[in-house]
Amino acid sequence: MQLIVESLETKLGKKEIVKNISLLVENQKFVGVVGPNGCGKSTMLKSIYKSLPTHKGTVVLGDMDVLKTSQKKISQKLGVVGQFNEMYFDLTVEQMVLLGRTPHKKLLEVDNQADIDIVENALKQTNLLDYKDRSYLSLSGGEKQRTILARTIAQQPQFMILDEPTNHLDIRYQLEILQCVKKLNIGILAALHDLETAAQYCDYLYAMKDGRIYTSGTPEEVLTPETISELYQIKCETYKNPITNQLGFVYQI
Amino acid sequence: MNMEKGSSVRQKQIFYVFVLFFLLCAIAITAVYSVSIGQVSIPFQQSMQIVLHTITNGHLGSLDQVESDSYTNIIMQVRMPRVVFALLIGMGLSLCGVVMQAIVQNPLADPYILGISSGGSLGATFAILVGFGSGTVLAQFGVAFGAFAGAMATSILVLVLSSIGGKVTSIKLVLSGVVIGALCSSLSSLVIFFANDAEGIKSVTFWTMGSLASSSWSKVPIMAIVVLAGCFLFLFQHRVLNTMLLGDESAITLGINLSVFRKLYMIIAALITGTMVAYSGMIGFVGLIIPHICRGLFGSDHKRLMPASLLFGGLFLMWADVLSRVLVANVELPIGILTSVIGCPLFIYMIVKKGYNFGG
Ligand SMILES: Nc1ncnc2c1ncn2[C@@H]1O[C@H](COP(=O)(O)OP(=O)(O)OP(=O)(O)O)[C@@H](O)[C@H]1O
Ligand SMILES: [Mg+2]
Repeated sequence: MQLIVESLETKLGKKEIVKNISLLVENQKFVGVVGPNGCGKSTMLKSIYKSLPTHKGTVVLGDMDVLKTSQKKISQKLGVVGQFNEMYFDLTVEQMVLLGRTPHKKLLEVDNQADIDIVENALKQTNLLDYKDRSYLSLSGGEKQRTILARTIAQQPQFMILDEPTNHLDIRYQLEILQCVKKLNIGILAALHDLETAAQYCDYLYAMKDGRIYTSGTPEEVLTPETISELYQIKCETYKNPITNQLGFVYQI
Repeated sequence: MNMEKGSSVRQKQIFYVFVLFFLLCAIAITAVYSVSIGQVSIPFQQSMQIVLHTITNGHLGSLDQVESDSYTNIIMQVRMPRVVFALLIGMGLSLCGVVMQAIVQNPLADPYILGISSGGSLGATFAILVGFGSGTVLAQFGVAFGAFAGAMATSILVLVLSSIGGKVTSIKLVLSGVVIGALCSSLSSLVIFFANDAEGIKSVTFWTMGSLASSSWSKVPIMAIVVLAGCFLFLFQHRVLNTMLLGDESAITLGINLSVFRKLYMIIAALITGTMVAYSGMIGFVGLIIPHICRGLFGSDHKRLMPASLLFGGLFLMWADVLSRVLVANVELPIGILTSVIGCPLFIYMIVKKGYNFGG
C-alpha cells in the first residue's frame, strides 16, 4: 500500500511545526526520515496518523483519504509504533498484544482462536514468546518496545509508521526489529536517528530540518558529508565500511 | 517449559473461576446472616428457611420450625431491602471506581474524584438547611433530590470545563474535578455558616458519613435498575476500558477515540454515583480499594477485573453493614466510617505486600 502526503502543515499552539511537507512511500518500500532533535519528525508522523489535527494538506493511504476517514477504518490499515509508551496500569504482555486486534473487532466482539494465533505469531516474530505472561510494567525499555511492535504486528496493518523504533534497544535487537519490520513486506515510514541503520535498511530517505524536507533520495544521495553537516551542525566524513560494504560515518563537533 | 506455562495459565483461570464462585456463595451466606441479626435476633437456621421459602415461593425450605410469624415479616420487609441495598451500592461503588480509574488513567481515582461528592454534598446540605420550599414537588424528595441534582450538575460542569479547547484528557478532567470540588465545598461551608440550625447541621454531618438506614423496598427498583444496567453495560466494555489504560496516543492508533468514550462513561458513572449518593450519602473508600485489591489478584484486564470487583464490592459493603450494626450494641454506626476503618488497613496491607506496585 502506498502513502502520499501532500503539502502537509501542522501548527502546535501558534507555532508552525510542520511546514508544507510532501512525501511519497511507494508500495512495500522502507522509507526513513532523519533530522535533528526537534525538527518535527514526530509531529509530522502524528499528523499523518491523525493524532494531531492538521492545518492543511492531504494524506492518502492506498485509496483512502486518511484525514477524512474514521479512526477505526484507518487503524485497520495503518499500524503505529510510537516514541513513548508509558502507563500506570499493568497488563500482561499477551493482553497488551491482544489489544492490537481491537481495530478488527466490533465493540462487543470477543477474541477468538484466530486472534490468539495471530498474537502468538506476533510474539514469535518479536522473540517474546517466553514473556507472554510477564507484566508489561516489569519489562525493560527494549522489551516494552518489542511488545509494542508485537501489538502493531498483531494489528495486521498494510502500512506501518514507526517513530524511533530502535530507541532503548541493544545492538542485536536493533537489527532484529528492523529485520522483522522489513520482512513484513509492507510500506514503512520510520523516523530514525542512527544514520548507519538508516543507510542499511532504507530504500529511500527524507532529511528534515526546521519542519521542512531539506532533501530526499536514496541513502547514498542523502547521507553526504555536506548534508549531514548542515542538518546536525557537526563535521562529518563518510566512508565505505570495508567489511560490510555499507555506508559508514565519522562525526566530530 | 511451554507445557508448564500453559498449565500455569490454566491454573490462574481455575483460580479466577473459583474466586467468583466463592464470592457468589459468600454473598448468599452473608445475606442470610445479615438478615438474622438486629434488635430481634433470629437464629441463622430459621432465617435461611424463611429466605429460601420466600424467594422460591414455597418450593424450597419450610416455615415449620420458625418460632414466630413476625420473623418472616421482619426479615423480608425490614431487613432484606437493606441487604439488597448494601449489595447494590457496593457493586455500584466498585463499578464506578474501576471506570473512573480507567477514565483518568490513574489508579488513585475513586467514584467521587471528579467533584461528584462535593456536588452531592452541596445539594444535600442545601436541601437540609435551606430546603426547596414546603409544598413543592421538590420538597417531597428533599435530600435525595438535592444530592442527585448536585452530583449531576457538578459532573456536567466538570465535563464542560474539561472539554474547553477540544479533547477531554485525563489531566484536564482531574484538574476540573478538583477545582469544581473545591468550589462546591466552600459553598457548602457557606450554607452551613449562615444556617442557624444545629439539628440541620447534625443531619448534614450524618449524611456525609453515609447510611443505609433509609433502605426500603420502594427504593430498591430505581437503585437496582440504575446499578444493574450500569454493571451490564460495563461488563461488555472491557476492550475500550483496556485501551483506555494505554492512553490517548496509543488508543487513537488502535482506532478508538478516547475523548468520546471518556465523556460517555463519565456521564453514566455520574448517573450511577448520583443515584447512590442520593439514597445513601457518601460511602468512601469502597470504590478505591476494591478495584485495587482485585487488580492485585487478577491484573488490570477489565474482562476479569470487572466481574470480580463487582462481586467483591457487594460483599464488602454487606459486611461493612453487618459490622455497623453489631459493633456497638444498640447503636448503628454510619457505614461510611466502617468502610474507611476496614479499608485503611486493607489498603496498607496491599501497599506493604511485596510485589504490588500501585495498579500494577
Ligand atoms: N505544544 C507545542 N507548542 C509549541 N511547540 C511545540 C509544542 N509541542 C512540541 N513543540 C515543538 O515542536 C518541535 C518538533 O517536535 P517533534 O517532537 O516533532 O520533534 P522530533 O523531530 O520528533 O524530535 P526528536 O528527534 O527529539 O524526537 C520541537 O521544537 C518542539 O519543541
Ligand atoms: Mg520525535
